[in-house]
Amino acid sequence: MPVRELSSGIYELDIDDRKMLATRNMIPGMSVYGERLITEDDTEYRQWDPSRSKLGAMVLKNFDIPLKSDSIVLYLGAASGTTVSHVSDILTDGLVYAVEFSPRTMRDLIQLCDQRPNIIPILADANKPQSYAHIVEKADVIFQDVAQPNQAEIAAINSKYFLEEHGHLMLSIKSRSIDTVASPKKIFKEEVRKLESGFDIEFEVLERKELEPFHEDHLGLVAKMFVDDEE
Amino acid sequence: MEDCDLFDKDPEKLAELVVQLQESSKENPQSVPLQRADLRDAALECGFVELDEDYDILLRDVCIRAAKSQISQTDTDDSRIIQAVEALDDIDKNVNELSERLFEWYGRYFPELEMTGEELARFVSAYGSRTNVPEDHEMSEKASSSMGAELLFADEELLRTFANNICSLYDTRRYIENYINTSMGSVAPNLCEIAGASLGARLMSMAGSLEKLAAFPSSTVQVIGASRALFKHLRSRAPSPKHGIIFNNPVIKNAPWWQRGKLARALAAKISLAARTDFYSGELDPSIKEALDKKLEHIRQANPNPPERKPEAKPQGKGGKRRNRGRKKNKKSGGSN
Repeated sequence: MPVRELSSGIYELDIDDRKMLATRNMIPGMSVYGERLITEDDTEYRQWDPSRSKLGAMVLKNFDIPLKSDSIVLYLGAASGTTVSHVSDILTDGLVYAVEFSPRTMRDLIQLCDQRPNIIPILADANKPQSYAHIVEKADVIFQDVAQPNQAEIAAINSKYFLEEHGHLMLSIKSRSIDTVASPKKIFKEEVRKLESGFDIEFEVLERKELEPFHEDHLGLVAKMFVDDEE
Repeated sequence: MEDCDLFDKDPEKLAELVVQLQESSKENPQSVPLQRADLRDAALECGFVELDEDYDILLRDVCIRAAKSQISQTDTDDSRIIQAVEALDDIDKNVNELSERLFEWYGRYFPELEMTGEELARFVSAYGSRTNVPEDHEMSEKASSSMGAELLFADEELLRTFANNICSLYDTRRYIENYINTSMGSVAPNLCEIAGASLGARLMSMAGSLEKLAAFPSSTVQVIGASRALFKHLRSRAPSPKHGIIFNNPVIKNAPWWQRGKLARALAAKISLAARTDFYSGELDPSIKEALDKKLEHIRQANPNPPERKPEAKPQGKGGKRRNRGRKKNKKSGGSN
């Protein structure tokens, strides 16, 4: 069975002529949310369903994924940890700070944290980065998947606090949670404009693609904080 | 960094500190500077931890403890009521289905018995076969002349067990209802007085918590539970919904159609006022109810007669029949919220 590494720690397996996205299972034998486990050459892989994960969809949409095995990641909107578990697989020598607002979903996330050594759970509101500034350190990557109307603002304020100077921001923008009625294209344009010049820090958008057909009305985006070199 | 005042390296105590810091920073966000010392470096320099990995292990341990303790504190009074009211809805849904099954099933053996729901369940549970109905029972004549089939012993036992379970669901339902009535009276006395215990609890459940309900504008309170109609209105020319679940309040339910919108608006205004009073003070304030009654009376007197309908008047009330009047254009009406 051919295994191809698409990006650091992210693999594409060929099973019966069907391509499958996967990560190496950090805890062999353990399936997190009922996903399939496949063993090849003494390595166990966990299937990664792109229609359940914005990050997974971004991989298949050929985004340049800035995650490395030793990255420090701030993950906003961790939910019950479906995607976080794969990020945890990728970061074999790294750490992911997983911020989630809902106590109900945090209950599931904690179970995952109990098993995996590289996830730090934080029950807090991503709107208030001050409330976890005493825990989180500077991050190489901020990944954000929150269904909030002020998604761009949340990304900006968290980047201000926690993003390394040359770090990357990965964003999944859900148009439906900004405005249910307006056209997604328009909303995406406006959100990108906000990121580029709407706040006191500016971003350089490196890539942007809609996450069709895996997620409807979602835009995936990778950006870098704009650093003024003249100072 | 030679002289550092180090914290006790007890994860449990550190977790408490983490939660405290989180709470205090919410009240005073300005106190957290943008440029902060790197905690990992500081911990290593002071000798609080020896290795990079030790820092990760300790931080993880502390954060898991902190999150767990925060989760255990989320079981609040209003969250318990919300669970109860949602359980009530689940029971209703299931008990109806089971009662219908019993009606069909037992109907084979005693079709003349004109009972449904709880009454039927109690009857089957008490007597089983119609041959057991005592002579002084009002159904005894019908039972003896019934065209129903003969009920075998094994089936009778089965039906009785089935009916017993339905009865106990009805009992549980009553138990939960009492629980909601009593706790609403102490947790949200004003909401309970203005909206009624069960409607108040449902509003909290749909909003998510008493705090969220208190934060809603009253126009939202007015249409909670009518999201399909609301989004249809926002997307197309459909009329705006006049009431969501607050329709279940007798003030609106029993009113003539032309007053309902106005009454719903007044009621919603006072409901949000009541929710806010409950959340922030918790004391019963009788003046809300007085003001509401006055306002309702005023609306009723000012609108005694139905307005004349214009030829192309928009559909009024629930208008189930006219559902397809809107433009067919909407590719997706409803299903999203």
